[in-house]
Amino acid sequence: MTPVVECLVAFLFGSVAGLLMQRSRFCNTAALRDAIMFKTYRNTKAMLVAMMILSVGFTGFMSVGAGHPLQFDVGLNTFAGLFLFGIGMVLAGACTVSTWVKAGEGNIGALWALIFTFVGMFLFSLVWSASWWPPAPETMTGQINLAALQLGFANAQTMQDKFGIPAVVFGLVQTALLFALYRGILRRERAQHAEHEKHQKEHLKKKAATAATVEA
Amino acid sequence: MEFFRKTLDPIIALAAIAVLDIFMFLLMGAWTVGGGETMMTGLMAQAVLGDELQRIPFWNIVFPPHADYWKIYISLGMLFGAFVGAVASKEFYWRVPRHLSEWVLITIGGLLMGFGIRLAYICNVSTFFGLMPEMNLGGYLAMSGIIAGAWVGSMIYKKMLEGDV
Repeated sequence: MTPVVECLVAFLFGSVAGLLMQRSRFCNTAALRDAIMFKTYRNTKAMLVAMMILSVGFTGFMSVGAGHPLQFDVGLNTFAGLFLFGIGMVLAGACTVSTWVKAGEGNIGALWALIFTFVGMFLFSLVWSASWWPPAPETMTGQINLAALQLGFANAQTMQDKFGIPAVVFGLVQTALLFALYRGILRRERAQHAEHEKHQKEHLKKKAATAATVEA
Repeated sequence: MEFFRKTLDPIIALAAIAVLDIFMFLLMGAWTVGGGETMMTGLMAQAVLGDELQRIPFWNIVFPPHADYWKIYISLGMLFGAFVGAVASKEFYWRVPRHLSEWVLITIGGLLMGFGIRLAYICNVSTFFGLMPEMNLGGYLAMSGIIAGAWVGSMIYKKMLEGDV
């Protein structure tokens, strides 16, 4: 595909994704924050469903060598970077997805978050240019490099090559684990619902009893 | 149209996006946002600094700015799609944060997100909808990081709501 066609396909995908997210109010930040702070799982469940579909889909195609998996070494920076990101997204009340979606709805705060995401990226470019860490993609080896705090590269494809088991088998195991988590959330929601109903009944009973006493 | 009147179940929305993401994976690569944002940062920096940008090695070695990078257009597409959805459902209106504290939090949050994405080489979208389903080791590292970060962020937020900070 030529770069122009790639850009058009990407724009089309982005537009549909943006529309669906705007209509569903999906937010990746909420998927994590609400589960942690408020024990509500509306967005968490949607995220898990997408991850289940993708786990089967991606590993299925990777089994036959199709698709374009991401290729770069990971290490301490992967954990540390997303740790900072996690704090930032809760403070900003938006992540990479919802900043674009909310900006499209006219949210100036989201646009402001986006501008400072760019500023943060530029600041990192200055830090990197002084520290040269994490290693640039061209110097990545795919192997463990403890001096650079890098663990190399591994995914379903490399596991298939190493163990001779199709990548999709690993994908199905992951999907089963995600499904177990999803079921756990549903159980928790049912328990929350039952608890809520119990409280409501008790409240009504108390109200009726008070009314009866007043009448008497 | 019903679609623009009722809120869509996020499970249906994300399932549909996941199916489209599989097509993206086959054609170019999984859904991602951070890479496109970095390229936009580079292009904007180039517009402001011109050739001076060459003096910052990051923009020579890791992300040489060029406008025909497909990941940029996913983000622009999301902005456009959300705008269309908001206008069609009469949900578009200017929302401006009222309190100074909100502006401060959003500024700090934005900076942390941008810095974090580049430190990790990936964003949250790539973590959950790219690396994790590819079963990349980085996906598990990133997911642990973002959950720990979201927990710390939530604790800070809670403390602020309670008025301790």
